[in-house]
Amino acid sequence: MLSIAVTIKQVPDTQKARFDPKTGTIDRSGTESIMNPDDLHALEMALSIKDRFGAVITAITMGPPHAIDVLDEAYALGVDSCVLVSDPAFAGSDSLVTSKTLSSAICKLGALDIVITGCEAIDGNTGHVGFQLSEYLDMPLITQIHKFDVCDGHAVIERLYGHEYQKIKVEFPFLMAIGKNSNRVRIPRLADINACLDKKIITFSMKDLGGTTMEYGSAGSPTVVIETELFSHKRTREVFSGSPGDKADLLVHKLKKHNILRY
Amino acid sequence: MDFILSKNQLMVQKSVRKLATEVLDEWAPVLDREARPLPPEIVAEMGRLNIWGIQAPQQFGGAGLDSISYAIAIEELSRVSATVGLGVTVHNSVCLAPLLKFGTPEQTERFARDLATGRKIGGFTVTEPQAGSDAASIQTIAVPDGDHYILNGQKAFVTNGGVGELFLTAASLDTSKKTAGIALFIVEKSMPGFEVGKIEDLMGMRGNMVSELFFNNVRVPKENMLGRPEDGFRISMQTLDIGRIGIAAQALGIGRAAFEAAATYATERKQFNKPIGTFQGVSFKLADMKTALDAARLLIYRAADLKDRGLPFSVESAMCKAFASSTAMRICLDALQIFGGYGYVKDLPVERFFRDAKVTEIYEGTTEVMKIIIGNSIIKEFSRL
Repeated sequence: MLSIAVTIKQVPDTQKARFDPKTGTIDRSGTESIMNPDDLHALEMALSIKDRFGAVITAITMGPPHAIDVLDEAYALGVDSCVLVSDPAFAGSDSLVTSKTLSSAICKLGALDIVITGCEAIDGNTGHVGFQLSEYLDMPLITQIHKFDVCDGHAVIERLYGHEYQKIKVEFPFLMAIGKNSNRVRIPRLADINACLDKKIITFSMKDLGGTTMEYGSAGSPTVVIETELFSHKRTREVFSGSPGDKADLLVHKLKKHNILRY
Repeated sequence: MDFILSKNQLMVQKSVRKLATEVLDEWAPVLDREARPLPPEIVAEMGRLNIWGIQAPQQFGGAGLDSISYAIAIEELSRVSATVGLGVTVHNSVCLAPLLKFGTPEQTERFARDLATGRKIGGFTVTEPQAGSDAASIQTIAVPDGDHYILNGQKAFVTNGGVGELFLTAASLDTSKKTAGIALFIVEKSMPGFEVGKIEDLMGMRGNMVSELFFNNVRVPKENMLGRPEDGFRISMQTLDIGRIGIAAQALGIGRAAFEAAATYATERKQFNKPIGTFQGVSFKLADMKTALDAARLLIYRAADLKDRGLPFSVESAMCKAFASSTAMRICLDALQIFGGYGYVKDLPVERFFRDAKVTEIYEGTTEVMKIIIGNSIIKEFSRL
């Protein structure tokens, strides 16, 4: 039986969110909170491992008390236990302190075989946490996972990037970062939805993790946001001239330059 | 008083909406065009998600949810595919629900699990070619014979008829006794003499295999009678009270689908250099639609809530059914008008919503019968003064 922890995060639904043009930040007051989309795929990865090989899954989130909503959702999807890492002292944590805090909480869960995270969250989009957890937990991080198997006490993982596959054999424990292309997230059963709110949620506060307020939250975070600005993608149009053959050559040249065509 | 859905109800809404949009959406036009039922693997997947046993206890493989959650689920399914919503609501609220409510422990033990998990689809049948609103005039008869009753007769317009394996069937033990002579039987498709007749070629709801059923000397064991011999009519009427909440929720789903399609179209379609939604002739229609949908939803939730509290809900159920179904019909008419010529072609789903909506004013008691129920209760209440 494998033991798996999945880190999940409650985020504002940035597709529906309004941005404050002055501060460049999300107006969180009127925005619905959802589970970070990549984290749903991380949970699905854990659940499919449980279905195929047997596993005990713990979902863990760090955030304010209302972040338990995503833990309820995790229970409805089929995880076995849930942990909320929450303390006023954690407010304003940057990605480094978040990873440090999460890793302390994960260490309290006992021996684990796999830790799974989403690739990135849609509110900050740093994509840091997987890599930083890998350092703090001293576990190798595997990304761009296409296929997962367990064979002779090892995980056999196919990675897909660009036009290539890589097949690797990994010893437990390790960490995986999962993106939205890895799987299709299941729909929760109505019976599990009905039962999910009655299930126990364990809370870890600063007292449980140890340390002082200077090590956590904004006080402990080295990242300083000086300014934020709205960013827009601009597309430019280019018209090639010459014979059809010349134009085709030029197009291939450009596509290779941008690494879209490689051979 | 609480007008906000609970956390659990919101999760149910999200989950069923995901099922409807990710799985059923691509099937909805196919079921309509080809007049075929859902493929078995999707029926099974819906079973895994507890859709065939939304309110059935978890011990039988159901989800054990409340009646408002049930109405939410039916609305979400019907918004995408009314014909799927129909199969689900008939199975849940007029087959499984009365079995759980009126069945003996032995009967629920024998039949509830297969129904709640969707391994068997169920139906409920009173209507006959000559007995519609006048349900007491049924001609299907049941004659006792040792440990069995022998059923003979014919049923009409049976929802789930072509795919169902278990039907709660009304039959008369003594036609001279009218309502007091009617008993309800749990009849299984596998019983010799049970025969599925013609599958109806319907105007809407074409993915439901609505059919005739024939009973030719069908030997039904006595332990398959639901309730006492004289209870059949009473149970049937109480069953329809429950069923009407589901049909109202179904009408609500269809109305919402037509409204959302019309509102989207009204912001995209430009005439005279402006989106047509900016013309009051269109926006007033949309305003009426949204208001009526909300009113229908609140009537449905109120009836559902009364039911869960164990209070009388027969009149409220009739009110929500009559209002929601006529609302759905009117919204479909107006939505089609907003779409203009594009509403009249089969490439877009509005004409399907229109065809699907009509029958919600007819089945599980016509709008006129709903008004008789409501009207009788008014006369009864005021004649006491």
